[in-house]
Amino acid sequence: MTQQSALPTAQDAKRRLAVPDYINIGVFSALYFMIVALCALASNIAFGVAGNLLLPAFAALLAGPVFMLLNARVRAFGAITTMGVVLGLFLFVFGHFATSLVTGIAFPLLGDLVARLGAYRNKAALLGGYVLFSFGCAGPILPIWLMKGAYIASLERKGKDSAYIASLFDHVNMATFAGAMLAIVVGALAGGVFGLVLLRRHFAKAGVTQ
Amino acid sequence: MTAAARAAGVRTRALRLDPRAKLTMLAVANVLMFLHAGPAAQSLAVVLFSLPLLFGGKAAAGVRMLAVYGVLCAVEWASALGVDRLPWLHIAGATAAGVCMMMPCLTAGMAMFATTRPGDMVCAMRRMRAPDALVIPVVVMMRFFPTIRHDYRLIRQSLRLRGFAGGGMALARHPLRSLEYILVPLLMNAANVARDLTVAGLARGLGAPGEPTSMVELRMRAVDWLAVALSLAPLAVAAVTG
Repeated sequence: MTQQSALPTAQDAKRRLAVPDYINIGVFSALYFMIVALCALASNIAFGVAGNLLLPAFAALLAGPVFMLLNARVRAFGAITTMGVVLGLFLFVFGHFATSLVTGIAFPLLGDLVARLGAYRNKAALLGGYVLFSFGCAGPILPIWLMKGAYIASLERKGKDSAYIASLFDHVNMATFAGAMLAIVVGALAGGVFGLVLLRRHFAKAGVTQ
Repeated sequence: MTAAARAAGVRTRALRLDPRAKLTMLAVANVLMFLHAGPAAQSLAVVLFSLPLLFGGKAAAGVRMLAVYGVLCAVEWASALGVDRLPWLHIAGATAAGVCMMMPCLTAGMAMFATTRPGDMVCAMRRMRAPDALVIPVVVMMRFFPTIRHDYRLIRQSLRLRGFAGGGMALARHPLRSLEYILVPLLMNAANVARDLTVAGLARGLGAPGEPTSMVELRMRAVDWLAVALSLAPLAVAAVTG
């Protein structure tokens, strides 16, 4: 099963994840999921179905402090990956397309590897890891590109001409895809810096970090 | 009507499908979406996947899903009629067709979410041999959601008490500051809860070697197998109608 990818890789790290880490991951994943859900609600109300395109960028903008504090408390390989997998599972169970599960495993795993290069302490590595991790939330928006196929199929079933709509979507597709991906990078960089600032200003002194 | 239905559902032991049966529905819904299944398979899937809601004591949610699907189909059909004269109707049509495509998934997800108790979900995960690294975070998450909502309300209240307007306008005017004022206490409390839960969990043998016993006994009954068989029907229809 795909979920197990979180465990064996955790063994290569200097420290294996233990029950306290799992509980930390659960608590911070809950906060992360709430942020994603709120962003989904807000962007859907503001921009309709197309608002989903901006959802990962919004989530990345807001969830930086959650990510940074989790890393400051666990500092071991597997935490970022598990958070991504758990989010992907929740999205899947809530009725999102299975792509959310795939991106929820792949990108957080990459982010985890990058953050590990800096031993979960180097700020640049953490930022890079957060940018990659943020792409894990892009799974739910991928079906928007499937929608084109669904609409063309439905037009053809009714005997309508679909050439017009196909050409329209071709223009929109590449530009919006590039825009959505760029928005994720920008949002994640801003959110990550904000997270690091909050960490230094509030949590390091209070002894909440490890 | 909804309250009555819910009360009746509670009294006459609402149908509770095994989470694994509902997981089959989710998988089938995803396959349908991937294959761009035709309207016959799609509508059959939406109706079938709303059955766990209708008979599981969540009739209101089931009726709502069916109604949304009906409206979407109507919009798609109506916009296809006028699209040759008014090209902007393509926007409404494409949106409706796109959301229609997602409806089997969303209905199955709603059925999974609304009719599955946390204990059943955890038992099913353990039965499917999910590792502790996955089960424990999921358990903690489900336990922690209500706490977040409670904390958030308290934070907003105390902000108002100290003279910071807690409304949406303040959030729009000082986004960074408002975010900091809300997120920092939330995260601080999350860290404390994580510590408390660790102590409580370890004291109760969380993560101890050996298979934990479960309060919930999950068994695939005849109804569950029937649900699995029925949920495969849209795939057959999709294969026949193309």
